[in-house]
Amino acid sequence: MSEVPTRPAKVIKLNMINEPKDSYTGGPSSLCPGCGHDQISNVIIAAAWENGIEPHRIAKMSGIGCSSKTPAYYLGQSHGFNTVHGRMPSVTTGAYTVNKDLLYLGVSGDGDSASIGIGQLIHAIRRNVDMVYILENNGVYGLTKGQYSATADIGSKKKKGTPNQTQPIDLCALAINLGCSFVARSFSGSKKQLNSLIKAAMSHKGFALIDIISPCVTFNNNDESLKSYGYVKDNNVTLHIADYIPNREPMKEVEVPEGHFRDITLHDGSVIRLETISEEHDPTNAVAALSALHAADAESKHVTGLLYFDGSKPSLIEDLGLVERALIDVPDSELRPSSEILDKLNAAFLS
Amino acid sequence: MATIANDFTINIATANGTGSQSANLILLQSLFEMGIPVSGKNMFPSNISGLPTWYIVRLSDLGYQAPGDRTHIQVLVNPATWDEDLESLETGSVVIWNSDAKMEMNREDVISYPVPMSSLARKINPKIAKLVTNIVYVGILAEMLGINQSALESALSKQFKGKEKAIGLNLTALGLGRDYFKENLSKEDPYVVEQRELKTAKFFIDGNEATALGCHFGGVQMLAWYPITPSSGIAEAIIEYVPQLRTNDEGESTCAVIQAEDELAAAGMVIGAGWAGGRGMTATSGPGISLMQEFIGLAYFAEVPSVFWDVNRVGPSTGLPTRTQQSDITMLYEGSHGDTQHIVLIPGTVEECFEFGWRAMDYSERFQTPVFGLSDLDLGMNRWACEGFTYPDQDMDRGKVVRDRDVFEAFEDFGRYLDVDGDGIPYRTLPGSGMDPILYRGTGHDTKGVYSEKPKDYVDLMARLKRKINGARELLPAPLLREEIECEVGVIYIGSMENTIQEIDDMLEATGLKVSQCRIRALPISNQVGEFIRRHETVIVLEMNRDGQLWGILRKELPNDLVTKVHSVAYSDGQPPRARIYSDLIMAKLEEVKQ
Repeated sequence: MSEVPTRPAKVIKLNMINEPKDSYTGGPSSLCPGCGHDQISNVIIAAAWENGIEPHRIAKMSGIGCSSKTPAYYLGQSHGFNTVHGRMPSVTTGAYTVNKDLLYLGVSGDGDSASIGIGQLIHAIRRNVDMVYILENNGVYGLTKGQYSATADIGSKKKKGTPNQTQPIDLCALAINLGCSFVARSFSGSKKQLNSLIKAAMSHKGFALIDIISPCVTFNNNDESLKSYGYVKDNNVTLHIADYIPNREPMKEVEVPEGHFRDITLHDGSVIRLETISEEHDPTNAVAALSALHAADAESKHVTGLLYFDGSKPSLIEDLGLVERALIDVPDSELRPSSEILDKLNAAFLS
Repeated sequence: MATIANDFTINIATANGTGSQSANLILLQSLFEMGIPVSGKNMFPSNISGLPTWYIVRLSDLGYQAPGDRTHIQVLVNPATWDEDLESLETGSVVIWNSDAKMEMNREDVISYPVPMSSLARKINPKIAKLVTNIVYVGILAEMLGINQSALESALSKQFKGKEKAIGLNLTALGLGRDYFKENLSKEDPYVVEQRELKTAKFFIDGNEATALGCHFGGVQMLAWYPITPSSGIAEAIIEYVPQLRTNDEGESTCAVIQAEDELAAAGMVIGAGWAGGRGMTATSGPGISLMQEFIGLAYFAEVPSVFWDVNRVGPSTGLPTRTQQSDITMLYEGSHGDTQHIVLIPGTVEECFEFGWRAMDYSERFQTPVFGLSDLDLGMNRWACEGFTYPDQDMDRGKVVRDRDVFEAFEDFGRYLDVDGDGIPYRTLPGSGMDPILYRGTGHDTKGVYSEKPKDYVDLMARLKRKINGARELLPAPLLREEIECEVGVIYIGSMENTIQEIDDMLEATGLKVSQCRIRALPISNQVGEFIRRHETVIVLEMNRDGQLWGILRKELPNDLVTKVHSVAYSDGQPPRARIYSDLIMAKLEEVKQ
């Protein structure tokens, strides 16, 4: 008879649906130690757990690249689809169309989204697909060993090679111009801000883009790089302190800050509270959002926070005119027209 | 003069965008209403307005539906092709020509009917004279051939469904044409039409609309598409029928339609829908399939149901966008990089377009793999006589999806890619179900779906995929065989060649040969095809392309002793197949084989 192993009792913290944090973790990461992407994965795990989202209700979507490998490292109890390079938005659009009841959590990188996949990103924004789109932006192609990507800043120099001289694409500016309903920029090192933004994006109905500067420790973390840890830390212009206030019992106690703050109510009733630091930023004003981006850019700085928000846009599913239930829950008998209908069709053709 | 009834070809040369298509369809429909076996081919350009268009109407009591090998009656309206069209006519042909076109009529050896079509049309309404010109020549043809007025009127009311003004205008124009022929010309040609009793009631419909209806009866839940000739008609007809077939009393539908930004995105959406447990499809043509190749490999490797309709046009590249061909066979069957193999359904009739429309969805979910429908421009965009559509004889097959937790729990060991039943088809759970969550991937994986580069995992996976698709061979639509007892020459063919094969067969048999037919309706091929080949002395693989793509597939898959028996006749000039061209090529090939 084998000995029954015993271990000392310990307290496990459960979230509001009685799940331990372990229910939200994934497999071990195979990314480089210290990678910004792993920090983001940890925030995703924390945000989903703290928000009490049932893991099976989340769909993890990704393309190809270092960032797109990360769905294997979080939310192990969620289905996911690691698709093809740059084409995660279309796959997500198709899945969302037939099952609108899942929370679509897309993860992409700057190689995936700013080059091969830029068209699909644009059109997913244009359709206002109801999804969170996390963009892990490090300015280089990591998996192919360090070529510049289309978001590399002018004058920025990666570990090997000459400084980048090609105009970068600012995906936040692009998204704002496209009328994206939720646009934020953050930094993998700003855990608290990122946590609030991801939770807010999950509470938002519509396309939520979070462009996260996530340094590549192997190929682009040297001092001359504008996307290195050191540089971003020193040159991060924070728009506001973002605090996510969930709308559920028991309500989270939050300190009402002194000075100015702005509450933005999200679709599920949760609130993101934006506390002014120096100048107030109005995230409902696209021009102000673009100005903030351009002002930071002119000084080679990175502006972070909720840049733009518009909660009034209908999401794609509302445009499609579908039945109330998710299409995958419609029984076959309601999908296939009856034989009487075919008889009528045949008769009408013959008349 | 001896008359020739119901056995001739009319060629109408007009310009695109002048409204000739509606006049031509009225002519076609009126002949159809008289019970005459008739087929119409629209030879249109890749252009909106101005370039040459020909419409070919073939009347044949034998039921031949190919365009016919020569023109008996030429209608000349378009100055741009006038000389060329005139020159190509055989002596004794009839020419009905617009004498207002300021073009020369320089053939003495034809029967000439000059008609001032433009001035007659102007009499009715100068503003729309160009449009009316077309219906004037229909009036001329009606009088010359003896088309019943009641058939014409019935065709008109079908074409303009309740638009009384248009019907009235066209009736007047038809009358002007008829009267002009009566009063100014005398019949010198032998061609007449004779009323026939149809054995079964039939109607005209194009393959694209039939396919679209089939997809609706397959319960399609999402159509993602990008416009491309000649496939747009499928998507447009699906959209057109959503209110009637897929919408409840509250005006809510069960079929989502998304016009994608390109074919890549359309493919991605289809695969996304399939992954989530829905029935997604797209319709495209060869260039679109080229763009979708990467996604097709993903769907094959990750085993995601997805349906792709390819309405084949002439390639390579942009090719001849408004002409027909059977040249996407290999690209569909072995689509995407790496070793792949796909199920391809190949309808040859509008009834099969409907049937394969719903079956494609069933096969795709049953085998958890991309399924292609391969139609072509001729079948898809031209109208064909149809006896009516048959309701699916089985419930929707949703395949091996584990939907209930107790079913899931009953598995001793569950793996998304585990071959439990030995047929190569694994079980799947759906996102949102909470059962066996996995990360689908296009990278190598083990039976649990976990990333793996292990040689054994890869070899096992590829072998299982092969086993899975091979298992479909005898479950797909079986080949249609029409065999002669002599088993002398067998002709294997696919798709819309169905509409020319009998005429080819008759031409071959007129030389004393005995010819059997085998129409392959699906890939991978059924073993019945091999047996057909074994029974016959010589087998021709007949297809509309340059390289003999179907022949290549057969050579690869047949046992060695049969390979030497199959010979390729592959030819395509972009035109719907003319029987004489193909029968001559077959005769030449048989000659060559004999030596």
